[in-house]
Amino acid sequence: MAFVNIQNLTYKYPLTKEPVLKNINLQVQEGEFVSVIGPNGAGKSTLCYALAGFVPHFFKGEISGEIEVDGKLSSKSTLDEWVLNVGLAFQNPFNQISGAKYTVFEEIAFGLENIGVPRDEMKKRVEDAMSLTGISELADRSPYSLSGGQQQRVALTSILVMRPSLLVLDEPTSQMDPIGTREVFGVVRKMAEEGMTVMMVEHKVEWIANFADRVIALKDGQILLEGKPNEVLTSDVLVEHGFGVSRYTSTAREAKQRGLWKKNNLPVTLDEAVQGFKP
Amino acid sequence: MHERLSFHIKRDSFLHRLNPLTKLALTLALILLAFTFPWYWMPHLLALAAIIPLSLLGKVFREFMLTALRLIIPAAGFLFLMQAFFQPVGADVIFQFYFLDMTSESVLFAFRNAMRIVVMVSAFTLFLLTTHPSELMSDLTRRGLPGQFSYVIISTLQILPQMQTKAQTIISAQRSRGLDTESSFLKRAGSLIPLIGPLVFGSLVEVEERAIAIEARGFTSKHAKTSLHEIPDPAFDKSLRWVLFALIIASIGLNIWLS
Repeated sequence: MAFVNIQNLTYKYPLTKEPVLKNINLQVQEGEFVSVIGPNGAGKSTLCYALAGFVPHFFKGEISGEIEVDGKLSSKSTLDEWVLNVGLAFQNPFNQISGAKYTVFEEIAFGLENIGVPRDEMKKRVEDAMSLTGISELADRSPYSLSGGQQQRVALTSILVMRPSLLVLDEPTSQMDPIGTREVFGVVRKMAEEGMTVMMVEHKVEWIANFADRVIALKDGQILLEGKPNEVLTSDVLVEHGFGVSRYTSTAREAKQRGLWKKNNLPVTLDEAVQGFKP
Repeated sequence: MHERLSFHIKRDSFLHRLNPLTKLALTLALILLAFTFPWYWMPHLLALAAIIPLSLLGKVFREFMLTALRLIIPAAGFLFLMQAFFQPVGADVIFQFYFLDMTSESVLFAFRNAMRIVVMVSAFTLFLLTTHPSELMSDLTRRGLPGQFSYVIISTLQILPQMQTKAQTIISAQRSRGLDTESSFLKRAGSLIPLIGPLVFGSLVEVEERAIAIEARGFTSKHAKTSLHEIPDPAFDKSLRWVLFALIIASIGLNIWLS
């Protein structure tokens, strides 16, 4: 039995005419790192909200089908129970700062206070989570005084510290520089290896190719393609449907048409491209 | 800009170390004594013999005096003048200004009322100067105040300055595209209307996202909450609160008994 199991999920927000998610079927194994790509309006964020329980418990609207995580059904659970098992961090870091805390350390401890973790354990867990994401030196700063990328790391740490078994991330690196992005992907990969299941919406395809186990391409609320990163990210279908692809893939595709790319598979990352173009 | 809406000054003093609830009780006691104790000079005595020594004890004398001179004294002075002129009591006119009479009774009356206001605002100022808002709120939450309530207070204190910053950003952005902010008042007021939309709607969207973010961190969890910081509440604080409580009851009791 898969750890995450979505069956025939169709969902419509209260104020939209068309369903945003249409008949989604998806299984994810425990400890798997799945990445979701798709153009704007494909339903990526809604899928994240559905996994994290906010669809339908927070947004209401019409839902059919089932979402099951770790043997529990979302429809039979309440949001406050669901969030203990499924963590969500999303794009805009500014709005993820609780506003109730004056330092980064307190901000990260906020979730643990809410679920009643004893003080000593709380301190230990916050320190561990901060050193994992490399923000220990920010502990005494005000969360509002940080840069966008730093705030995103604080938001991610605030969720990681709660140790969910499923981590849902909606573009968690959108405001980060390449160094920050690499560190976040590294942390997420490590969490997956330690058994945390990860579902991450991301545009940075080169990083997905390097770190994710599987890629799901979402378009108009439906799953268009699904498979190994290198197969999905180099597929011609993505280009036809207007997905963003890696510059190395498009360069090699161009080269292939002119007979300059000799390999069967197209590259996603710089390394693969360099290897492929070597005479 | 990392300003906060907080008067708190971080110092190590007797007053800072008191439990927030004790300080709140002290503030209330000062205010209630000033208003209910049936002796004319009580507010004056409190201001000189309690408020000022407390500001020294809390090591915030300078900051307190600045607030007092800039805000409390002018406001109380204005109140004094208004009441001294307009309170229609007494016949012993000591000063006339056109048709306005100031009698010795109205002066006494106004002086006491102004001093009551001075004590009230000063007590609150001292409280805010020596108490960190989050410390107060976590202590009150621990004692049973709903978490939602303290969240609203603290987040408002933090988010308002953020909204100010945002409004400034929107204004700068619009000015760089030719928004008129320097001509006549009416024209400027008119040109601000288009700025309200982005600020208000933007803030509404933010509220939804923030609700999701705190919900994702177990905000409505039914578990008993814990607190990262331990806020000490020694026996001394508990006894002090009882003493203050007794003083308040005695003052109100005397007031009722003598009236």
